[in-house]
Amino acid sequence: MTVTASDDAGPGAPTHRRHTARWVAGIALVAGAALIALLATSPPQTVTEVDTPLVGQVAPALAGPTLAGGSFNLQAWRGRWVVVNFFASWCAPCQQEQPELVAFAYAHRSPADAALVGVVFDDSASTARSFMRSTGAAWPAVVDGDGQIALDFGVRGPPETFIVSPSGIVVAHFDGPMTNAALDYWLARADRGQG
Amino acid sequence: MNAALGHSGVLLSLAGSIIGVAVIAYGLARNRPELVRTGRLYAALVLLGAIVATVAMERALLTHDFSLAFVAANNSRSTPLLYTITGMWSALAGSILLWGLILAGYIAAMVWRFRRQASDPLVGWATLVTLVVAAFFFGLMAGPSDPFRTVAGVVPANGLGPNVLLQDNALVAFHPPILYLGFVGFTIPFAFAIASLITGRIGEGWQLATRRWTLFAWAFLTVGIVLGAWWSYQVLGWGGFWAWDPVENASFLPWLCATAYLHSVLVQERRGLLRVWNLSLVIATFSLTILGTFLTRSGVIESVHAFSDSDIGPLLLGFFAVVLATGVGLIAWRGDRLRSPGGIDSVMSREGAFLVNNLLFVAFAFVVLLGTVFPLLYEAFRGQQVTVGAPYFNAMTLPIGLALLFLMSIGPALPWRKTTAGTLRSRLTVPAWIGALVIVGCVAGGVRGLAPLLAFGLGGFAAAANVRQLVLSARAAHRSGAGVWRGLVGRANGGMVVHLGVVVIAVALAAATSFGHRSEVTLRPGQVASTDGHRIAFEGLTQIRTPARTATEAVIRVDGHGPLFPAVSQYGQNTEAVGTPAIDSSLEDDVYLTVDALPTTAGGPVTIGVTVQPLVVWLWGGGLLLVLGSALAAVPGKRRRPTDPVSAPVPAVEAGDGSTGSGDALGASDALRPAPRRDVEPDEPGDERPVPEPVPAGSP
Amino acid sequence: MSRTRARLLPSWLPMAALVVVVAVALGVGASRGGPAPTPAQRVDAIDALVRCPSCDGISVADSSASTAVAISHAVAARVRAGQSDSQIDSFLVSRYGPGILLRPPVQGWTAWVWVLPPVALALAVAGLVTVLWRRRSRTRAPVSVEDRALVREALAERSALGRTTEAVRAP
Repeated sequence: MTVTASDDAGPGAPTHRRHTARWVAGIALVAGAALIALLATSPPQTVTEVDTPLVGQVAPALAGPTLAGGSFNLQAWRGRWVVVNFFASWCAPCQQEQPELVAFAYAHRSPADAALVGVVFDDSASTARSFMRSTGAAWPAVVDGDGQIALDFGVRGPPETFIVSPSGIVVAHFDGPMTNAALDYWLARADRGQG
Repeated sequence: MNAALGHSGVLLSLAGSIIGVAVIAYGLARNRPELVRTGRLYAALVLLGAIVATVAMERALLTHDFSLAFVAANNSRSTPLLYTITGMWSALAGSILLWGLILAGYIAAMVWRFRRQASDPLVGWATLVTLVVAAFFFGLMAGPSDPFRTVAGVVPANGLGPNVLLQDNALVAFHPPILYLGFVGFTIPFAFAIASLITGRIGEGWQLATRRWTLFAWAFLTVGIVLGAWWSYQVLGWGGFWAWDPVENASFLPWLCATAYLHSVLVQERRGLLRVWNLSLVIATFSLTILGTFLTRSGVIESVHAFSDSDIGPLLLGFFAVVLATGVGLIAWRGDRLRSPGGIDSVMSREGAFLVNNLLFVAFAFVVLLGTVFPLLYEAFRGQQVTVGAPYFNAMTLPIGLALLFLMSIGPALPWRKTTAGTLRSRLTVPAWIGALVIVGCVAGGVRGLAPLLAFGLGGFAAAANVRQLVLSARAAHRSGAGVWRGLVGRANGGMVVHLGVVVIAVALAAATSFGHRSEVTLRPGQVASTDGHRIAFEGLTQIRTPARTATEAVIRVDGHGPLFPAVSQYGQNTEAVGTPAIDSSLEDDVYLTVDALPTTAGGPVTIGVTVQPLVVWLWGGGLLLVLGSALAAVPGKRRRPTDPVSAPVPAVEAGDGSTGSGDALGASDALRPAPRRDVEPDEPGDERPVPEPVPAGSP
Repeated sequence: MSRTRARLLPSWLPMAALVVVVAVALGVGASRGGPAPTPAQRVDAIDALVRCPSCDGISVADSSASTAVAISHAVAARVRAGQSDSQIDSFLVSRYGPGILLRPPVQGWTAWVWVLPPVALALAVAGLVTVLWRRRSRTRAPVSVEDRALVREALAERSALGRTTEAVRAP
């Protein structure tokens, strides 16, 4: 049986306890400040340029029937800048960006200029068609029945937009509603980058 | 009219809290107790303002007053009555109003409860702290997050209606208010912790006085989390009840700290140890509720729960920073007073077990917090997105959960101070063998997998150990003539029932996650398919059309019972299609049905998703046990003084030192007379012999 | 209450037997052997670890969203073509980025999220053990022969009075 002496109440002990508390407090404060700094500087999710592995790679195959009844193949459009826009009629930001896309398409309507092509994301052909018609959109829209085109492009949810160079390389990937001005800016920038 | 009424209510509360803070602070600084006492008046004003604002909001919702932007966005003429009422908390601004209302209620209850000690500086400081928190939340409502903002321009004829997911199930009436009763409730113990640090009166008094408040808040938070799990299971057609979603994690983090606190405070009551731990845990709990509010409302992290991001994110983060800095700073300042009279003699003791318990819970919280914010960290440093999903959390928390199950078994059997192997052996041999037999039985029955087997075995061990405590306690109560029921109520016994609930939930989780299986069946009308041991029969489709809901339902019979109606629905004017599941529950397993694909042609085949998970009903049963245990724990124990011996009879002492009127002391330094402590339990139920009733000296 | 009659078996035997029984049972039960997973099971297993891109944090296996279904079909096609799990994962990562996998990779910078909690826990345990050890060795006073004799006498007195011989517990 061990006889345990009580804690010695000498003057050293309170200082020791205060130092322990101060150390714990100090570490907690530093960790807390780091966490707060991190949370304060993380922007909420809005439209951003996304850095996915596809950027800088050859664009995946994009071929299929269009809403208008024809067919589309991205390969055939080599030599032009192509803006690929994944959309759906039920998605609010898509409705928001549609007028901007209409303006963009009109501004670049000459045959050698940048082309705009849409891809229907998880929507029925009839609702997508009426959406395009009611917003005055005249560009081709590819029907992606089984979602494989969206998968190949790594699309998480509409609206997502890709800029494909004349040589078929994906140069930029955007997540969120685009504007006419933003597309022009990025096209100009990518054009300069291509030399 | 509603807007004006609402604004005036919010402003009244805001003014009441700010002026209250100023007056109490002045009274404390100048040592004027009569000013400190007026804190009660300001608390009442805050409550009045909150009630007025709530009445205004509900009136606006019920009368479909679309001049308020909030009502226009969250209500419509076709919304059913229940969802109109609950519309108040179905979006950001209104949820802050609910928070404010509940906070005002708690503050008023607190000042009423401690009204006889209202001039005590400790109570004064606590009231001040709660009023500061109230000022913050009502300040949010007065400015950035105004629920009574009017629509700019033309008043719409009809509103948008609440989010479709919130119209599916009546639980929306219960889950948020219950959850908030939990979150907001931790403000009171936090306020008292800060008050005790500021006044330097770090005795056990304030903890004892607020113990029931903490337990109350904890119980509601637990129920809120379990209800949330049940709701996501019933509504969000993916057969899951816990996805380690950032907002779910945000509610879980304070729960972990609060649970650790409820255990660790027992050590401080008994032996005055672990004071820094307890203060830190209380402050951490409250800080995490603020952090959780921030994560839910700032849009920083994607979540199925997240309200739309808004301007209040930075304000909430700032408040979190202030709370954290204040708490940590105060602990550092008062470090010298936190010295405990004594230390932990041996890890093999109940104090040691509680210390390990604290460590495990804090590790658990660290894992959950790290996993939740790691995607942000990674994106900040590396620019790429990474996902930390359920596989990570399950893998990391499994060992901690198993360790906690083990601790739950041996903890109640460990004596205080120290023990020998012989004592443990005599107390725990039978439960240990029961656990071993459970494992053997499961293996013999074909159960495979190390983790679930360990969970079942430890669950059996823990259940047997806790039942043993209850049996001993009931037997002792019966022997001492107090009646068997006495042995089942009170803090310790309620705690054992809560542990049993946790064991049941742990076993159910292990079974459902390890042995759940999802498959799809494609059926034409009239066809039957067998999958995972169940027969699914598809009888046909029906269409539902009500003003509130348009749906295509599949009529399914599972093993002959039913019919069940999984559906694809649209609510009100919203065109978004939402899947509504249907569940066939039994004690053994749940068959969870969703419509994965509707037929493209009339009479064509429908694809039904079938998820079979064992023992899901046990989760909800375990939740009920948790509620029952909390209720039992809240029952006061026999009145007893700290000088009353617990293990050997002593001649009755003259009770000359009577008790204070209301029966609680605040801080060891202010009362020369020890207060009667209601719940000092012996190590082992039944160790005590009948204590002769002390001669009453005029005390009630 | 300790028994005073001699024991026939060593006291640790029942515990040892228990440990052996549990170990054997777990050994048998832990092995989830059996036939190799069918293609459908492989697809399910892979789906459970891939995040549904258009949902909030749930897996492809748990979701019926269009993106999840598309991924599930692509995975199924690749499983039929005989690709390995890691090849399929790399394909998905090449499209969606590393965020498509629910389990953060153990290699690279994401290893921190796996390593940090055990390391932190080990540090905390080490710190606690150090503090307790230091306190114990600090407070151990030397026990003299006279002290032991005193205590022995006192205990003998108490047992003579018919009380229990258990150690006196501090109030």
